[in-house]
Amino acid sequence: MLLLPALAILVAALGYPLYRQAVMSFQDYGLAQQFGQPPEWVGLDNYVTLVTDSYLWTVIARSILFCFANAAITMVIGTALAVLMTLVGRGPRLTLQIGLLLAWAMPHLASLTVWQWLFDAQYGVINWVLVNLGFDGFAGRSWLIDQLSFFVVATVIVVWMSVPFVAFAVYAGLTQVPDELYEAAEIDGASAWARFRTVTVPLVKPVLLIVALLQIIWDLKVFTQIFVLQDAGGITSQTNLIGTYIYRLGLGEGEFGLAAAASWFVLLLTVVLSLYYVRVLVREEEL
Amino acid sequence: MNRALRLTAGLAAAALALSACGGDGDDDTTEPAAEGETAEAPEPAELRLWLNGPDTPQPMRDWLVAEFAEQNPGSTLVIEEQEWEGLVDRLTTSLGSESETPDVVEVGNTQAPTFTTVGAFSDITDQVPDLGGDDLLQGFVDAGSWDGKTYAVPLYAGSSYVFYRKDLFAASGIEVPTNMQEFVDAAVKLKQDNASVPNFSGFWLPGQDWRDGAAFLWDAGGDFAVEDGGEWSGALSTPESQEGLELVQRLFNEASGAPKDANEADGHIPFCAGEIGMMLRPGWLRGQIEDPAIGCPDMIANVGVFALPGTDGEPAPVLLGGSNIAISAQSQNQELSANLLELILSDEFQSQYAENGLTPAKVSLADGLGTDEFAAATIEAVTNAKLTPAAANWASVEGSRVLEDLFVNIANGGDVQQLAEEADADIATQLD
Repeated sequence: MLLLPALAILVAALGYPLYRQAVMSFQDYGLAQQFGQPPEWVGLDNYVTLVTDSYLWTVIARSILFCFANAAITMVIGTALAVLMTLVGRGPRLTLQIGLLLAWAMPHLASLTVWQWLFDAQYGVINWVLVNLGFDGFAGRSWLIDQLSFFVVATVIVVWMSVPFVAFAVYAGLTQVPDELYEAAEIDGASAWARFRTVTVPLVKPVLLIVALLQIIWDLKVFTQIFVLQDAGGITSQTNLIGTYIYRLGLGEGEFGLAAAASWFVLLLTVVLSLYYVRVLVREEEL
Repeated sequence: MNRALRLTAGLAAAALALSACGGDGDDDTTEPAAEGETAEAPEPAELRLWLNGPDTPQPMRDWLVAEFAEQNPGSTLVIEEQEWEGLVDRLTTSLGSESETPDVVEVGNTQAPTFTTVGAFSDITDQVPDLGGDDLLQGFVDAGSWDGKTYAVPLYAGSSYVFYRKDLFAASGIEVPTNMQEFVDAAVKLKQDNASVPNFSGFWLPGQDWRDGAAFLWDAGGDFAVEDGGEWSGALSTPESQEGLELVQRLFNEASGAPKDANEADGHIPFCAGEIGMMLRPGWLRGQIEDPAIGCPDMIANVGVFALPGTDGEPAPVLLGGSNIAISAQSQNQELSANLLELILSDEFQSQYAENGLTPAKVSLADGLGTDEFAAATIEAVTNAKLTPAAANWASVEGSRVLEDLFVNIANGGDVQQLAEEADADIATQLD
C-alpha cells in the first residue's frame, strides 16, 4: 500500500513515454507521421535495420568506453577533493567549496561556450599558452578534428562539470566517519594511505557506490557537451555517442521509428550496467 | 532493514535507470488543430515569429513589431531569433505541437520542401495573389509548393559573392579575377604574400562550409545527388564532382587559413582582424563589417566585391540562398498570422531588405538594391545561382551532417575519391 504513490508517479512520468516509444519502434514513423499522417506498422524492421548496422555497435562500444573512463576519472578526482576538504582548514575549505559550487551551478551552455573559446583553434587561450611555452606545433591546432583529442576535450569538460557533485556527496559521507577510528588506526601504526583504504573506504562505501552508479548513468546519456562540440568542430560520424546518435537519427533525419528502437538499446544498456551496482547496494543495505 | 523501504529503493534505482533514456525521441504528442474558428475579427493574441540568424537587421524587426501592433489593435508580435544551425531539428519538434509551435516561421529555401510535403504548414494558395502573385520570386514559390498548393512564400533571396581587400590585392599586384583559374591563383598568391600574418587566408573556407564550397563542385560540372527515373543517388564520386572536390581540397590546403573543422559563422571576426584576403559570403556580411559593435566600419573603404567567376568567365553557380516564410498548420492564430504574412510581404517591408543588400521577395522591388558595387555583385551572383537537389527529404541529408563531415575530412587531407564514395552511400540512404 505504501508503495502506491511512488508507483503512480512512476507510471505517470515514465509509462506513457515508454509506451509511445515501444509503439513507435514498431512503426515506420517519419516526418509525415509527426505532422499527423497515420504510421505504418513494420514489425521488427527497425530493430533488424539497427542490429545489422555495424555503426550502432560502434556507437555503443564508444559510449560504454567514454562512460567508464569519465565516471572513473570523476570518482577519483571527486573523492580526492573530498578527502582534501576534510584535511585543510576552514578558509581553504570554503574557497574550495565555493569554487566547486560555482562550477556546479554554471548552466551547461554558458560554460560550454567558454570551453569552446578556451580550445578555439586560432584564438583559444590553450593553444596560445602552449605556443608561448615553446610548443610551436600547437599554433592553429584544431582540438576537435581528431577523434581522440575530441574525446579528450569532451572528457575534460564532462569531468569538470560532474566533479563537484561527487566531491560534495563524498565529503558529506566523510564527515560522518568518527575521528576516534582514525586515532585508533594511527596508534596502531597505519600509514595515511592504509587509513584511507581500511577505515575511510569501507565506512563511506555506500555513498561511493551510489555516486558511482549515478555517474555511470549520467555519463552514458551525456548529450549537450557532445552535441555542442560537434557543431563547433569535429567529425560528427566519428564522435557520435548514443545520445547524439539517436538525436541525429530521430530529429536530424526524421527517422523517429528507428530512433525509438535505438532508444531501447540505451535502456537495456543502462539496466545492464547499473544492475551490478543495484545488487551491491541492496546487499549493503541488508547488513 | 524494512522490506518495503528496500523495495522502494530498488524501484527508485530502476526509475533512474529508466529515465536515463526515457526522454529520447518520443516527443510527439500531436493533436489535430482546432477547427471552426468563425469569429469576425481575430482574437487579440501574442504572435510568435521565428527569424533565423542575423539576416534580418534589427531596425527592420523593430519596424515590423511596431507596424503589426498598430494594424492589429490588442495583438503583439514577438520575434524570436533562431540559429540556422539545427533549425530543421527545432522546427520538427516545435511545429508538430499545438502548444509549442511558433505562428509564423522563416525556413531556408532548400529546407522548405521537407515541411511542405508533410503538412507542417498552412495552405496559403488563396492568399498568394494578395501577397504579390506573379511578382514573387518564382523559384522560391516552387520550393514552397507541393501537389498544386502553396504553403510557403519567399522572404528574401541572396547568394554569396566574394568580398576582398583592395589594399592586399594592390600590394600583391592582383587584378579582380575574371575566371575560376585566375581566382584560384589569386587566392594562393595572397596567402603566400601574407604568410607572415598568422592564420591568414587568401580565400577563407572553414572546414564545415559545404554551402559555399558547393560553388566549386557545381562549376566543375558535379553535383551532390542526381535523379534517375524517380530514384535519387549520390553523385559526389562522378569524375566531374571529383574534379570540383579536388579543387576544394587545394583551396583548403593552399589558400585557406581557417580552422579545418570550424563552421562558417562569424566570418567577420577574422576579416576584421586582417586575416582574410577573400571570402565568399552572403550580402549581410557587409552589415556585420559596418556594425561598430561587432565589426570594423573603418575597413569598409578597403572592401571590394565581385561575383565568383566560373571557369567560362560567367558567374559561377553559387548556392541560391534565401528563405521562405510560412504559417504553422498548428498555430491557433491563423488569421493574425495571415495578416503578419501580408505585412512581411508588403512593399514597404520588402524594400528594406533591398536597402540591406538582400534580394527582396518581389521582382519589382529589385531596383531598390541600388547601383553600387554591392548591388551589382548581388544581382550578378544570383543570375547563375543553383539550388540543392530537389529531393523531398533533402533536409534529412543536411540534418545528418554527412556533408559537413565530408568537407571537414577533405580539409583534413583525406582521400577525396574514397570520402566521396562513402558520402554517396550515406546520401542515397537519406534520399531513399
